[in-house]
Amino acid sequence: MKTTMGDLATPIPRRHWAKPLRGPTVKEMIPAQNAVVVSVVDDDESVRDSLPDLLRSFGFRAQAFTSGKAFLASNLGETHCVVLDIAMPGMSGPEVHAELKRLGRRMPVIFITAHGNPCLCDQLLQQGAAACLAKPFDPEVLIEAIRRATSGN
Amino acid sequence: MATPQVTHPTQAPVGSHHRLDVRNGSRGDVDDALLERELNAIAAIDGIPGLVAILAPDGAIETLNRQIVDYCGGGSELLQHWQSNDVIHPDDLRQTRETFQRAVSAGTPFQIEQRVRRHDGLYRWFDNRGVPVRAANGQVVRWYILLTDIDDRKRAETLLAGEKQLLELIASSAPLPQVLGALCQVVEKAASDCYCDIHPIDWSGPTIQFSIAPSLPESYTAPIAGTPLRGDLVPCGIAATENVQVISENFDTDPRWCASPVRAHVREHGLCAVWSTPICTKRGDVLGTLCIYQRQPARPLPLHQDIIARATHIASIAIERLRAEEALAKVRTELTHVSRVMSLGALAASIAHEVNQPLSGIVTNANTCLRMLAAAPPNIDGALETARRTIRDGNRASEVIVRLRALFQRKDFAADVVNVNQAACEVVALSAQDLGRRGITLVTDLDENLPEVFGDRVQLQQVILNLLLNAADALNAVDRASRRIVLSTTIQDDCVQLSVCDNGTGLSPEELTKVFDAFYTTKNDGMGIGLSVSQSIIERHQGRLWASTNADGGATFSFALPSQLF
Repeated sequence: MKTTMGDLATPIPRRHWAKPLRGPTVKEMIPAQNAVVVSVVDDDESVRDSLPDLLRSFGFRAQAFTSGKAFLASNLGETHCVVLDIAMPGMSGPEVHAELKRLGRRMPVIFITAHGNPCLCDQLLQQGAAACLAKPFDPEVLIEAIRRATSGN
Repeated sequence: MATPQVTHPTQAPVGSHHRLDVRNGSRGDVDDALLERELNAIAAIDGIPGLVAILAPDGAIETLNRQIVDYCGGGSELLQHWQSNDVIHPDDLRQTRETFQRAVSAGTPFQIEQRVRRHDGLYRWFDNRGVPVRAANGQVVRWYILLTDIDDRKRAETLLAGEKQLLELIASSAPLPQVLGALCQVVEKAASDCYCDIHPIDWSGPTIQFSIAPSLPESYTAPIAGTPLRGDLVPCGIAATENVQVISENFDTDPRWCASPVRAHVREHGLCAVWSTPICTKRGDVLGTLCIYQRQPARPLPLHQDIIARATHIASIAIERLRAEEALAKVRTELTHVSRVMSLGALAASIAHEVNQPLSGIVTNANTCLRMLAAAPPNIDGALETARRTIRDGNRASEVIVRLRALFQRKDFAADVVNVNQAACEVVALSAQDLGRRGITLVTDLDENLPEVFGDRVQLQQVILNLLLNAADALNAVDRASRRIVLSTTIQDDCVQLSVCDNGTGLSPEELTKVFDAFYTTKNDGMGIGLSVSQSIIERHQGRLWASTNADGGATFSFALPSQLF
């Protein structure tokens, strides 16, 4: 049996990474004044570079932070939804989540992780996370999770 | 001490008389005073607390005291022939004879410890001292012999010496059969005329695991291994299951085992009395039984019970300690195995993380790029930027692989002279338990003239362990009884070559070309890293690692390292 990288990471079912997309209109790509603001917190440059652009292309307003500390120091009231990396130097994603709860910030939290530990994900969902995605994730799944988590707002 | 002042040697009488009858008129001319003196002398030697014999200068018996006659159950006729009958224990006879003859010919005192047979056939230890009596001209006219019973002291000494030797054996982690065999010999030496047999018990049956009895033939001990632990089959069955001593004075006629097939087995080997005592831990767990046999019907004497109690105690220490060591070795092997798997697992997780990060960027960027191009109008500048980032992340992923290889070719390479045979033996010792439990026979065929190589011993051992465990995994599908691994070393084309050959499932030609690729595995639970790492290590040693298929199925993995000498 051939073991692939996917197997190594986590037993996540195969997904279609690049399904045909309907392109957004220019109007859609310019975030509305009242658009949902998504904060991306990840120590990894690739994610910080790529994810905000993707989110913007779906009509969200996006901002990136290199650490949990930097994010917590920002104006938290501006963020409607936060995408948190789990394993980061300094404060970990779950620690940031706990701190948000302590501060009374009830914004939805979506965890992303390159370690892909299903047990940890279940635990985080139980502790109130809106979603937990293993990197590399299907962008549409992330968008769907953000939409679902912020639809109440 | 009163000494008879007899100046003329007298002849020992024939028949059952054990001493001169000075009153039967054979020497009627003896005056009353002399008779009186001789009677006094006889009364005196009869009162001595020991066995006394008075001998002529040539060693012929003249007078015996009552104690020696009562002890041996016979008079001078029996004792006169001590050199040819079994009054002296056969094991002590030669030394006694030599000592005695030397003393008689030199006319000097002697002292020897020997076993003397009692009237009921039991041998006891005696301290035998003899002194010559000389006439005025210096001629030896008499020998006075005094035998003192030292049996209790001697047995205590024997047991003590035996116990010391046994405890040393146990402390040096000698194999259990060797320890138990030595214990049997100590018991047999301490309690003469018996056979000792020790049966460790395998409670998974429960059965008698095996029988250790160095003084009994293999035809007796071999069939005992695996005997079910049933009370109606063997006394040990009752002894072990009920934790009680079981005494059968005569096993052949004992109604408790009249239907047991073991009865004939015991009889055919000339054994009669069977005493079985449980060997148990301080907590009362029965580890085995200690069996004493005698060739005639017998019950254990206090002496035997004392020896049995000491022997079962030592046996319990030996068995318990060895079982604890076995358990420890098993845990150690499992730990090694677990840590090996864990380190590979941890490595895989770290690789996964390192690769998933740029992969995530690639997927996100590529998606964003597509959306920007699909937009109306297309966002070309944005698409170019995301495409550029896709390339950057792709390069990052490939750098991870480069770093991974560098990791395997560690910079902290501990180069030293390595004896590959020795390194292999250490790995074999480490994995022997694990392989044994999996029913694998490991054969080593090491070339004694193997030159040393230059390299990192621990890394090479990781390779050997990896090859061994791979071979073991390849045997999972093979019938337990025929699982076999041959580890051999040889000199081939000026290189030290080590091969691990299994009779497992083997490799197809396609598999042969791929086995060394990272993440390629034929196992359901494998990571596909071991051989790739192994190859990196061997290449770092300027060596070569390859696989081949065996003519009779199975695979051989070999590595060759340049020898230090060439």
